[in-house]
Amino acid sequence: MSNLLSVENLTMKFGGLTAIDDLSFDAKNNQITSIIGPNGAGKTTVFNCLTGFYKPTNGQMFLHKEDSKISLRKYTDFKIAYVAKVARTFQNIRLFPAMSVLENLLVAQHNELMVASGYSLFGLLNLKTYRDKERLAVDKAKYWLDIIGLTHRADDNAGDLPYGDQRKLEIVRAMCIEPRLLCLDEPAAGLNPKESAELNKLLKFIKTDKQTGILLIEHDMSVVMGISDHVVVLNYGKKIFEGTAEQTKNSNEVIEAYLGVDE
Amino acid sequence: MEKKDIIQSFKDSLFTGLIALALFGPIVGLRTVSKGEGLFIAPQWGVVFLLVGLCILGRFLININSARKTEFKIFSSLSSKFSSITEDKAKHFAITGILFAVVFPFLPFTDRYFMDVAIMILTYIMLGWGLNIVVGLAGLLDLGYVAFYAVGAYSYALIATTFGWSFWICLPLAGVFAAFFGILLGFPVLRLRGDYLAIVTLGFGEIIRIILINWYEVTNGPDGITGIPRPSFFGLPFKRSPDEGETSFHLFFNLEYSTMHRIIFLYYLILVLALITNYFTLKIRKLPVGRAWEALREDEIACKSLGVNPTNTKLTAFAIGAMFGGFAGSFFATRQAFISPESFTFIESAIIVAIVVLGGMGSQTGVVLASIFLIGITEMFRDLEQYRMIAFGGAMVLIMVFKPKGILANRKPTILMHGDKK
Repeated sequence: MSNLLSVENLTMKFGGLTAIDDLSFDAKNNQITSIIGPNGAGKTTVFNCLTGFYKPTNGQMFLHKEDSKISLRKYTDFKIAYVAKVARTFQNIRLFPAMSVLENLLVAQHNELMVASGYSLFGLLNLKTYRDKERLAVDKAKYWLDIIGLTHRADDNAGDLPYGDQRKLEIVRAMCIEPRLLCLDEPAAGLNPKESAELNKLLKFIKTDKQTGILLIEHDMSVVMGISDHVVVLNYGKKIFEGTAEQTKNSNEVIEAYLGVDE
Repeated sequence: MEKKDIIQSFKDSLFTGLIALALFGPIVGLRTVSKGEGLFIAPQWGVVFLLVGLCILGRFLININSARKTEFKIFSSLSSKFSSITEDKAKHFAITGILFAVVFPFLPFTDRYFMDVAIMILTYIMLGWGLNIVVGLAGLLDLGYVAFYAVGAYSYALIATTFGWSFWICLPLAGVFAAFFGILLGFPVLRLRGDYLAIVTLGFGEIIRIILINWYEVTNGPDGITGIPRPSFFGLPFKRSPDEGETSFHLFFNLEYSTMHRIIFLYYLILVLALITNYFTLKIRKLPVGRAWEALREDEIACKSLGVNPTNTKLTAFAIGAMFGGFAGSFFATRQAFISPESFTFIESAIIVAIVVLGGMGSQTGVVLASIFLIGITEMFRDLEQYRMIAFGGAMVLIMVFKPKGILANRKPTILMHGDKK
């Protein structure tokens, strides 16, 4: 299986604090790669570097595309999602709470719709080309809402959904930009066991049916161990272990990092 | 209701009275009168005690009302009923409103004064709708909106007096100039949010005004610009005795000359301009750019993570909002025939923001109601001179107390998957 993302010698310093220290790892196509580690290990910082919210102090991040590779360092801000097609969700859910569920999914298709509406000109004239494109966008939203079973609530405000549904909605909203790499920051936080199981199903579906690589930060081990193809363990910004879920479970370094060392 | 409660609320009311006394004592109680050679203080304690008494009584009633829990809460039930009525029948309400506005000039009780007030309210409605794009939809608190109003007015005045072009050419030009200034303001403030943005836009509004005062060669400074051409009815001027080779409005239509013709024309002009603003806003809200504005208001970081370009999105909001401000400005210039920097002070910005916020951010109907309420009430008390600002403040307090989210705060989705069921 080919590489999708390679992170090479990534270092991020905030003043004197080194949040990520010389981190290198790969994530493969159609695989779920989990990044785990104790609190403060630098997991979210890795995400923020990948998705353009931070500019890393050092190191390179490449996204592989058939034969070519593009450097994520070159893109900042919204261009990561727009050009490089790397989507992300957030640890504390960031939906547009006062907008409807459907509108949330349409904002994710903003750039295509913007072109289709002729930068608002065709849209103001109410041309058929735009209306057709808008219908396609709604169909796409409906497709994803059917998958997470929220179609009946499409016209309700996103902020009125129960917590677990908001989590799922944020994931499918990210999927609406048709990403090549999907970065999920603790998607199972605050979910009950039933909801976690549903989440696992959704992620497996995205991985196999949508051919999207997933990068996952998670504390819930039932999720991590259940679906990860590959696990990277961080502690104090350094990679301390890398391997399959089974290997990780039995690794002494990982157990020490989480539980401490015997006197 | 227990005795303890009554005593408690009575104590509270007395304390309120104390504060009221401290405030009204010097402000209302001590009045300066110039008599003969000097300035004297004429105390008017009667009024002070009346006001303080009213405060105590009002506070006491509010206390009792809230102590009685649910059964006596007239105001909240009334106000929720009010908003449910207007929500259900929003469409009927809008159509009736427009019809009323169309026939208004020909109603029997309508006189010159009513028309002037109506034109003023419509100007504020248009400004409110323009600012609603920036504040209500995009969530960018702009306290310097009057700057674009001024840019529109001055561009119209300067172009019209220098080149003598007609209103219909100058109007779009003024809009373009204002939009340009909107982008000019937009660039430096792109990274700012909330309070910081508000302060910078406030500064921008003042900068424009100070430039207008000091750039004497172009703007004629504090003297203002006089002799701005009045609008004509598609080439027919509203004059009693037209220049040679010209036909004026009343001659063309064989009517008795009346100044009301021009007033009625101005009224319809601002009505059409305002309705265009409204139509445009309602349309663009349902387009991708409109949705991106609202998404930006909700969460800018999430927008970036979805590939929405926040820079362009904000700039379009500023530019379009400013453009409508510019249109309103050129209308103001042609109506007054005279403009000076005096007309574009901070208080104007504040009034427009108040209209948008009190109307309910993003609500088009709310802007109309708030304009009628705020401007109308202030006008009704014009005889009281400066005290009418108390009415303005009072109207604001009433809305803040009973409808803290604005008169109409309900937002309707821009697109529905299941159709309109409710």
